Amino acid sequence: MKSQQKRIKHQSVEKKQARWGIAFVIPSLVFFSLFNFYPIINAFYTSFFKKKVLSLKPPTFIGIDNYVYLIQSSNFWNSIRATVVFTLGTFIPLLVSSLLFAVLIISIKKGNKFFQIALYAPAVLSSVVSAAIWLLIFDPRGLANQWANVLLNTWGADHNWLANWTMVQISTMLVYFWKYIGYFVIIFIAGLSSIPKSLYEAAQIDGTNSWQEFWQITLPLLKPTVVLVSTMSMLQCLKTFGTQYLFTQSGAPQDPINVITMNIYNTGIRDHRIGRASTMSIILFIIMLFFTWLQFKTSKSDDVEY
Amino acid sequence: MQTIPIDSTKTDFFKISFLYRGLQLRKWRNLIVWVLLIPMTVFTLTPILYMFTASLMPAKDIMKMPFHWIPRSFHYENFVIAITGNDGSYIFLRNIYNSLIVALVCAATTVVLSALTGYGLAKFRFRGRHLIFMVIMATMMIPFEAIMIPLYMVTTKLGIQNSYTGLILPFLVNAFGVFMMRQYLITFPVEFLDAARVDGMSEPEIFSKIVFPNCKPAIATLAILAFRAQWDNLLWPLLISQSEKMKTIPLYIVKFTSEMNTDEGAMMAVAAIASIPMFLLFFSLSNYFISGTSVYSSRKG
Repeated sequence: MKSQQKRIKHQSVEKKQARWGIAFVIPSLVFFSLFNFYPIINAFYTSFFKKKVLSLKPPTFIGIDNYVYLIQSSNFWNSIRATVVFTLGTFIPLLVSSLLFAVLIISIKKGNKFFQIALYAPAVLSSVVSAAIWLLIFDPRGLANQWANVLLNTWGADHNWLANWTMVQISTMLVYFWKYIGYFVIIFIAGLSSIPKSLYEAAQIDGTNSWQEFWQITLPLLKPTVVLVSTMSMLQCLKTFGTQYLFTQSGAPQDPINVITMNIYNTGIRDHRIGRASTMSIILFIIMLFFTWLQFKTSKSDDVEY
Repeated sequence: MQTIPIDSTKTDFFKISFLYRGLQLRKWRNLIVWVLLIPMTVFTLTPILYMFTASLMPAKDIMKMPFHWIPRSFHYENFVIAITGNDGSYIFLRNIYNSLIVALVCAATTVVLSALTGYGLAKFRFRGRHLIFMVIMATMMIPFEAIMIPLYMVTTKLGIQNSYTGLILPFLVNAFGVFMMRQYLITFPVEFLDAARVDGMSEPEIFSKIVFPNCKPAIATLAILAFRAQWDNLLWPLLISQSEKMKTIPLYIVKFTSEMNTDEGAMMAVAAIASIPMFLLFFSLSNYFISGTSVYSSRKG
């Protein structure tokens, strides 16, 4: 009898506590449903309508016409091309060189803190500020031409950094690479320092050289970090906006660097075509969802235990 | 006792050759390290240095063909133009103030709400808490770029464009913050909480007096991440701040650089002013910046 009472009392204490737990969680849950789930559902819904911001007519249901329109639109395919080119051209060099520099930095004894901070420094700047700096560097009379001419031994040539179709794409990639290299170097360094030293000692006793060590110990054990960095940088690149926007605002041609986010912005805000912009948003969402899913799938299967 | 005879000259030779090989390897490796690292450092630091140098130069010097890295005189007029603006309206000061308000408020709400939710999810047992956690994590997969148009429609309906409410509301808290605080608080000793409960503290008091003050490192990292995200944010203010008065720093930079008569020195002065707070934060709290970055690496499935 007594123990039962005690249990009931105990239960009620637990229940009371649980209620507090729910109370602590509810504010965020409300926030996420209002500002994340509702908008994405709304975007999906709107993607089936012809809707304009300023018109007084109610939006008309047009089924999948928006999707059909986009598939046939050369402007949209150009955006896909710009985004894919930008993503591949940025994330592959980023991945390879951030891994390389992380290994280099970790292998030196003195000054590795300095190099970490030096490589990370551009990440501190905002994307608009970095685009503004590079805008001046890429000016026909700017540093980029001067240095490229010294390196390529082409005196007095103008490389059209912001005017030529190919060069303006390379310029945006270069800005992004510059801004994010330190960020990913640091993630790699965190991953590298979690590999136990004893493995390397064992390998040295077996007489391996540093080249073999890298390919046979470091890289396999670093695979989760590699997957993480590649997905993160890829997702980052897919939603690039600031650099391209500032460059086009300051006179660079729009077509070569008209990435999806910029197209969404222009279609939705400048041209007031909300339905079509929502359709593009949904397509972007699906692309990014796919890559996130890919990361989950690849990183779950090979968690390493030491 | 008989000792095993050792050919001493032979071992010495081996030792020496081994050492020699090691030294040579290290020499080569050092060479490669410096040959690659130094140019990379030059590449990452030069544009930043360029910004600060150019901000102290008259425009005609910036575009001179061999660039002078040391300004001949302190051309402070750039900063004057940067602050007064091309039209002399001093709107930049207002925009800096806007950025500060938005970034500080977002950092504060992110920290408090993340800690609260993370605490609720980590230390309380109620039905559906795993589901709630998964649901919150799922929002990480929704890119802001995909929901900005519907959010924009909501703000026009609520009539909160061109207001701090509109700028702040979508960024009150984020899934990453909740995730980080939950992971941090899972290892928080339950004994402290129970002891406080026995002492008759209420649950909100326990949170505000015991839990919250004890997660300083996580809070600092999160606050920096949130502050910085808003300080850099271009897309959302671009959508909802149409009036000059409610623009933030990134918008001002876009406007300032695309104005035809902007002088290059003033442009770099604006960029320098916008970056100085971040650099100050970075150099005083570089550990938190760097840990904020590497915290991501714990984000596994």
